[in-house]
Amino acid sequence: MRVIPFQIAARLAVVSFCLAIASAVQAQGPVLLTVSGDIAGPDAAQFDLEALRALGESDIETETIWTDGAHRYTGVRLSDLLDHVGATGSQITATAINDYSVTIPVSDATADGPIIAYEMDGAAMSRRDKGPLWVIYPFSSSSDYRTEVIYSRSIWQLDRMTITE
Amino acid sequence: MIQLIQARAAKLKAWTRTWVFLIVLGGLCSAAIAYLVAETVRELRYLHSARSDNVHWVMSQAEVENLDFRNAVDLARIEPSSARLTQVGVRFDVFYSRMVTLGTASLYGDLRDIDGFGGPVAEIRARLDQLIPLIDGDRAALRAGFTDLSREAGEMRFLLRQATTAGLHFFAERSDQSRESFALTLMQLALFSVALLLALAFLLQRTLRIGAQSQLRGQELAQAYARLNVILETSLDAVVVCDLDGRILNFNSAAERIFDHAVADVLGKKIADILVPDHLRAAHDAGMTRMREHGEHRVSGAGRVRLEAKRRNGEVFPVEMALETAQAGEDQVFVAFLRDISRRVAGENELVEARDKALAGEKAKADFLAMMTHEIRTPLNGLLGNLALIGKTTLTPVQERYVRNMDISGKLLMHHVDAVLDVARFETGASMVREEVVHLGNLVRDIVHSQSSAAEANGNLMQWDWVGEAIEWVRLDGSRLQQVLVNLLGNAIKFTRDGHIQIEIEQTRESETDWLEFRVIDSGIGISDDDQLRIFGDFQTVDDAATLGSGGTGLGLGIARRFAEAMGGSIGVESEPGGGSVFWVKVPLVPADPPQSADQPPRAAQELPGQDVLLVEDNEINLELARALLVSLGHRVTEARYGEDAVAIASTHRFDLILMDIRMPRLDGLGATVAIRSGQGASRDVPIIALSANVLPEARVRFTEAGMSGFLPKPLTEADLRQALQRFAAATPHAQGAPASDPKAQLVARYARETGEFFDWLATGPEDMAEIANRAHQIAGSAAAFGQMDLRGVLARLEIHANAGDRAATVAAMAEARAVWKVAPDPVLG
Repeated sequence: MRVIPFQIAARLAVVSFCLAIASAVQAQGPVLLTVSGDIAGPDAAQFDLEALRALGESDIETETIWTDGAHRYTGVRLSDLLDHVGATGSQITATAINDYSVTIPVSDATADGPIIAYEMDGAAMSRRDKGPLWVIYPFSSSSDYRTEVIYSRSIWQLDRMTITE
Repeated sequence: MIQLIQARAAKLKAWTRTWVFLIVLGGLCSAAIAYLVAETVRELRYLHSARSDNVHWVMSQAEVENLDFRNAVDLARIEPSSARLTQVGVRFDVFYSRMVTLGTASLYGDLRDIDGFGGPVAEIRARLDQLIPLIDGDRAALRAGFTDLSREAGEMRFLLRQATTAGLHFFAERSDQSRESFALTLMQLALFSVALLLALAFLLQRTLRIGAQSQLRGQELAQAYARLNVILETSLDAVVVCDLDGRILNFNSAAERIFDHAVADVLGKKIADILVPDHLRAAHDAGMTRMREHGEHRVSGAGRVRLEAKRRNGEVFPVEMALETAQAGEDQVFVAFLRDISRRVAGENELVEARDKALAGEKAKADFLAMMTHEIRTPLNGLLGNLALIGKTTLTPVQERYVRNMDISGKLLMHHVDAVLDVARFETGASMVREEVVHLGNLVRDIVHSQSSAAEANGNLMQWDWVGEAIEWVRLDGSRLQQVLVNLLGNAIKFTRDGHIQIEIEQTRESETDWLEFRVIDSGIGISDDDQLRIFGDFQTVDDAATLGSGGTGLGLGIARRFAEAMGGSIGVESEPGGGSVFWVKVPLVPADPPQSADQPPRAAQELPGQDVLLVEDNEINLELARALLVSLGHRVTEARYGEDAVAIASTHRFDLILMDIRMPRLDGLGATVAIRSGQGASRDVPIIALSANVLPEARVRFTEAGMSGFLPKPLTEADLRQALQRFAAATPHAQGAPASDPKAQLVARYARETGEFFDWLATGPEDMAEIANRAHQIAGSAAAFGQMDLRGVLARLEIHANAGDRAATVAAMAEARAVWKVAPDPVLG
């Protein structure tokens, strides 16, 4: 733990406060995702559906081994999200509602990489249907995504992420 | 060659089959391996893709989430706070989501198909769906339903347990299957890989072997090429190879030597420019064109052909060439083998020249012999004839002895001449055997009789007899046999003094042939072994004191041998010095029937009535002799001195017979005969008999060709003449006439008159030397016949001087001749 001079610490506290207000303002609905760890800002970033939508929508049409047939998934690109939160770590520890946890390397978050889906075929995904958030890789686009490791990273009922070194 | 090619083709076919087989095998193996590799990759990908997820984890997770849900319900029942109620919803949703996944994910499709899994999962789902209104309902209802929820969760756990167990079994089996399948695939892959490796190894081995064979063949080819090159280079014949255009492709060292061109200078150049002589160029070009355009071969394959070729210095020389065409790859080439035969040709030319010279020499010899025959026999004829005539005159005993001696010498000389002629006859290839039917006894008896006086002279007793059965009539060349026997007898008599000479005749049989063997056995001096070997050669004489002075030409036994061999027989001798000799002659025995005329009296000719004979002879003496003989036989004679006269007389008068001398000045006997035969004269078809000293057979052929009917050799003998008349004159109708009263007296008178006229003419002092020589010659020729030998001598000298144009000597000779004539004895004719 670094020793931070008082003034600097005070300033950082002010900035964090401001950001916290901004997040709080954005999270009007129920919080779907909380991002913490090595991100810009002192506190964890929380996102409701609208906040996630505000980060830009991306679509992936793919089959999964857990569903029947191909579906169109809509969500925020993982890379966009990481940019947004100012993630500086290399590992993302993603955890589901049932505390299932998996580590996703930040390197997976490419421009055509995985998204954090909140809609399947244009409809919001309920918790009973692997919602509300589901990390979807473009499985159909490449066999590189059809590996056990990737399948394990395709975590559903996601509700928090921690960025670490 | 064809068989080799076929064998190679068959081998190639077999090879091709093997190759195709191997390639197909390799292809199949490769395909199988590719398939298996694809299969393995697929299976690996399957494993890699982990489509199975971690089902076991999912199953246990489902149980955990079921327990979480139940736990949340139980906690909420104990303390139904808002948070705990919310937790119940969350846990329900998580469990629900898990069950939906199990119920719908394609991953578990196979699993759902088994009842032990699909049934409980569907059951749980159905039960969860029934719980949704309760979960989503108001909190109060939820609180009230906790008991049911807890019970449901417990029951669901039981169902879940069932599904989990069934799923585990299923995946265990599937895993086994998958492992087995993968193992099988890998095993197949391994097997096919091994097969492919084997095929590759086989191919490699084959390839190596082919490589080794190719190398070996390459070496063999190189060796063969080297050998061929050595052969080419060491060949003594020039070998030149050229293409269809005549361009030289190969030129061996013999060619370099023979044509004097370096190989580097001629390669690629045209044969026509280098080797073909200018005068053959056109023919060569035409031949090459023929070959190119029509494939016509005249020289090639025709064996050795003699041609001419050209050296670098332009020298044209003879060569022997064998030309063959050959296929070199796709091109046709000519291979010419050339041999310089200039030396051989020169040698051949020399031989031909030598042969021509030899032949010319032989011809000259034959001509010489023919000439000598005539030149010797003609005067001999005169000598012997006159001797015969002298013998008929009244002679003193001393004169008779001289005449007899002369006769003996003359006949001996004639015998020698005849011997030489016999050899000449043989050498000119005229040894024709004239077979006739002969009475053997008579033949031998006559011979013995003819020799008996000679035998007696040497004090020898001579006898002849048959050994075994006698045979009378045989077919053989009587005169030849007679000559042989006379020769043998003559020798026996010559070399025996006061002994006996026995002649034996015997029929023998040897090697399927009947032979007649004559043996002349004497008790004479004998012959040494060395001499025995050579006596049958030509000109071989045995010098011996006992025979000194009686020597001969040395041709006798040589001729006897030739005759014996010509008759198909042989001759030989057995003898010891001092122990006498046995000469034997064997000739084939051909018995014959006695001839029809055999019993006719031999003197029938005497009964021939007087014939009208035309006698043509340029030599006065011979003319008179023949005339005397004819007249003495009672015939009428008309004389002609020259051929032209004879033709003229014969055309106006028909004779019974014409005796024609051959050698005459101007028109000779042959010419006259042709003239008479071809004319329309009265005597055109009467027999014409040639009189000639030339007894060589080819002469007789010429006589016959000229149209002559027969031949009488000179010197003319009464017997021959009588025989010829008997033979020819009898065939023509007789002309009638009385015989001359006293022909001899007439002749003498005529000679006396002519001689007188000659000297009267000489007294007139003639200037014409040629005429003097001519008339002197005529009288000289007659003088000898009429016993005036001295006169003949001086007249001969006169002729020589006159011919020489020596007037003084001629005048002197004329005076001398007149003197001799005055004292000469009266002319007489024997």
